[in-house]
Amino acid sequence: MVAFAERRPLGDNAKAWALNAPAIVVIALLVAYPIGYSFYVSLQKNNLKRPRAKRFIGFDNYKALLSDQAFLSALKVSALFVLVVLGLTVVLALILALVLNERFRGRGLLLSLALLPWAMPGVVNGLMWRTIFDAKTGALNGLLQQLGLIDSYHAWLTSGTGAFLFTALAQVWNTLPFSVIILLAGLSTIPSELYDAATVDRAGAWRRFTEVTVPWLLHPLLIVLILETMNAFRAFDTIYVLTGGGPGDATTTIALLDVQTVLTFTDFGLGSAYAWVITAITLLISIGYIGLLYRKGNFEV
Amino acid sequence: MELTRRHILKLTGLGLAGPALLSACSNDSSSGGGSGDGSVKFEGWDYEAALVQQNLDRFTKTSSVKVDYTPITSAQYVQKVVAEFTGGGGPDALYVYDDSLAAWVEGDYLQPLDGMAGVDEVYNAIYPGNAQAMTYDGKRYGLPYYTDATCLTYNAGILAQAGISKPPASLEELEAQALKIKNAGLLEYPIGLPAQLSDTWWSWVWALLFGSGGNMFDDQQNPIMNTSDTVTKDVFAWLQQAATKSKVIDPASLQLLPVPVDNAMKANRYAYTIGARYASRDYNDPAKSKAAGKIRMGLVPSLDGKEHGTVSNTRMYGLAKDTEVKDNAFKLLTYLGGYDDQKQPYTAKFWFLQRGLGFAYKAMVNDPTITAALKKFADPKVYTHLAEIAKPRNVLGVPWYTEFETEMHKVVQGVLSNQTQPSAAVASLAQSAETLKKKYS
Repeated sequence: MVAFAERRPLGDNAKAWALNAPAIVVIALLVAYPIGYSFYVSLQKNNLKRPRAKRFIGFDNYKALLSDQAFLSALKVSALFVLVVLGLTVVLALILALVLNERFRGRGLLLSLALLPWAMPGVVNGLMWRTIFDAKTGALNGLLQQLGLIDSYHAWLTSGTGAFLFTALAQVWNTLPFSVIILLAGLSTIPSELYDAATVDRAGAWRRFTEVTVPWLLHPLLIVLILETMNAFRAFDTIYVLTGGGPGDATTTIALLDVQTVLTFTDFGLGSAYAWVITAITLLISIGYIGLLYRKGNFEV
Repeated sequence: MELTRRHILKLTGLGLAGPALLSACSNDSSSGGGSGDGSVKFEGWDYEAALVQQNLDRFTKTSSVKVDYTPITSAQYVQKVVAEFTGGGGPDALYVYDDSLAAWVEGDYLQPLDGMAGVDEVYNAIYPGNAQAMTYDGKRYGLPYYTDATCLTYNAGILAQAGISKPPASLEELEAQALKIKNAGLLEYPIGLPAQLSDTWWSWVWALLFGSGGNMFDDQQNPIMNTSDTVTKDVFAWLQQAATKSKVIDPASLQLLPVPVDNAMKANRYAYTIGARYASRDYNDPAKSKAAGKIRMGLVPSLDGKEHGTVSNTRMYGLAKDTEVKDNAFKLLTYLGGYDDQKQPYTAKFWFLQRGLGFAYKAMVNDPTITAALKKFADPKVYTHLAEIAKPRNVLGVPWYTEFETEMHKVVQGVLSNQTQPSAAVASLAQSAETLKKKYS
């Protein structure tokens, strides 16, 4: 009894730590350890084909990237891919969200259809578009020929530009719904009184869009930009299935090169360095977005 | 100290349930033969797994050695085996691509077979090219599974319709014949090639090089395609011309893997392709092919029209370095890749008769059963001659071969799609080879 009376109650901080400890351990095991380990591997010469040559080499893998032509080319392709995918996604998602934000007959059906591509895994998406773009039996060729727009079937994915653009379109189709959902959620939070007031002030549709809608959508847009940039930078499955990175290296993105380096060439050291470069670039771009847009969207009604 | 899964589980105190669950989910943690009854853990890519099992059942029946066979999807075979050998739980005996041999020996996955019973006998009986492909650093690491030589395959029916009576000897002639077929309105693109990046190796590129007496590397694996050997550049120039000027090579080739090319050949959609000899068996099978009876096998056309050679490939059975059931695993290897007690290469013959897979044993070509089966889909003389003039890629003896082959595919795609000029292509390949040599030195 004496001992019980002398026991001090746990402070809030200690309780919080005690209650969260299991979750912290699980996160450390499932998230922090793999991330930390991959960074450690990126500092090694670690190729399964030469296990005896495995050793710590510091930042040599990263230094090698500066003169690695495959890496530099993939980085260029990735940057362009991100720009095209992001541009198309933001514009199309905004249009779709604005349309779906209106009330009209069949809106529910259209909403369901617009969200369907999101449910499709990247590999299945790639396979579907490969079937559509197929040079021999593709639906696109069939449609264009029936419309009288082409005389004979084309091999759409065999020119560098064609392969790049069609791959970007396939990626946009797959990830667009996610952006639409976010923007639609943002649109639904705009008070209708603002539009009413703008209408009373004789503001046209364009002014209502630029002065009411866009400022309210800055935060959702920020989320879209960050997540879609990450998605586009990490794009692998659709590209792998659709073009395998070709023709030549026209669609070899950095994520594709990374997977190839690790799984096909079994070079875990260099592959991990690639992965960390992707992470660093995405992080920098995200910080840039936040810097540009966060403050502008932080307003009061 | 390396942190292993076991260490982490111990350290984090997940208790007994975690390790038990993980080990139940994982493969056997020992390196093969783990069941203690001498059974052999055997792995291969998933080609005709039911037939493989049928053959293994026969082995178990006659030898009383149990075999635990796992077919692995061919697209993931190399990665899966490497992961198993690295992480533990690798097989005792396995299929090995000649492409992977050097890397797997360097990785300490395989053990040499020199000195084991019957190995010398096998190596004396097979084609030198196959023996060379299974030898690394002077040691022998495999017994032959199957081999093939790449050939020109043509549809004699389409050629006849265009008034062509014999296959082309030179690349110029091939292009001219293809143009004749194109101009006659028979086919828009008479030549189809499997040039999709996902394919692991493009035998047709090597066949064209060897067919013209060229090579990309000297005997010390130094790149010569940009210096002393002009054949690579000239072959690339021909490919570019045929793909983009005369347009006799189907541009869709860049999207095609071997199976769609096979299907197109069987549907009379291509007059020519360059590929494995054994494919002709399928092409000439009336149950599967509209072109049955019309498909012929020819030598690979060359730049000067003279006969030079072609490329061979060798798939082999290998023995894991740390197998605990070496005797039984070698018994299995001998059954699959060597001679049976009747001094016959039973399994090699089994595969030829079942699926037309090429064999490494020289004497098999004189076996009446083989000859009779061969005549159904090929001219035995051409078939044998191709085996005699075929040679393996000398660059297989380097651990960076996979990287080079992958790079080569990209470069050749660039040539075919007119993005890269032949001189830039060979310069780029030479540069890649030098970079890889340095990286692996």
